[in-house]
Amino acid sequence: MSPSRIDDIEDVDPGLARERTELAWTRTAISFAAVGGALLRSQPAVGIPILALSLLIWELGRRPRKPGTGHARTRHLQLITVVVLGVALTALVITLVTGW
Amino acid sequence: MTSAASPTGPAAAPRPGEEREPDARFTFANERTFLAWSRTALALVVGGLAVAQLLPPFPGVPGARHIIGIPLILLGAAVAVFSYAEWQANQRALRRDEPLRRSLLPRFLAVTIAVIALLAAALALLSAVTSHR
Repeated sequence: MSPSRIDDIEDVDPGLARERTELAWTRTAISFAAVGGALLRSQPAVGIPILALSLLIWELGRRPRKPGTGHARTRHLQLITVVVLGVALTALVITLVTGW
Repeated sequence: MTSAASPTGPAAAPRPGEEREPDARFTFANERTFLAWSRTALALVVGGLAVAQLLPPFPGVPGARHIIGIPLILLGAAVAVFSYAEWQANQRALRRDEPLRRSLLPRFLAVTIAVIALLAAALALLSAVTSHR
């Protein structure tokens, strides 16, 4: 058996867990892009940063994990949490300031 | 050089409290769950913003859109924080080979959305009654 040939994807990525997780990151990036795009006309100062962050999230999802450090990516997930909280805070400010 | 066991290979049960890198599939699954909750949180925030910004005003009930929209935004923020806490707790339990705690998020989300929906229905009713008098 040649060691360089991949006979079974299950040996490299069991349950396709890695690929499914990459796709989940892609979905998340698209969600942020959709929000940024929707805000682009009414609140460009908010929409453009969210669009930029969606590109960053897209990139983070595709980046390979460092070997030897385990597979948990605490910093990446903390970033997502902070970004969602930032969007929530911005939405709260917009809502409180306008539209009464 | 660190000698890491194969992520999918068999290994002896760890002693209580001992931490070990879990099967990569579990780490990936935990991460996907967190990402799914984060998207839910984002949707709640944007939904709240849309209610306050895009709906026409409720006749006779000033501020009704804000009474519906602001709790949705706060709920989204809470879901974001809770989902990170649950990811962390699950990852710790996986490393220690302990049972996963039951997630509180589904019930929290269901109850809060139901309360907001009832609130919205009450406001719509109130608006209909006051504006047709």
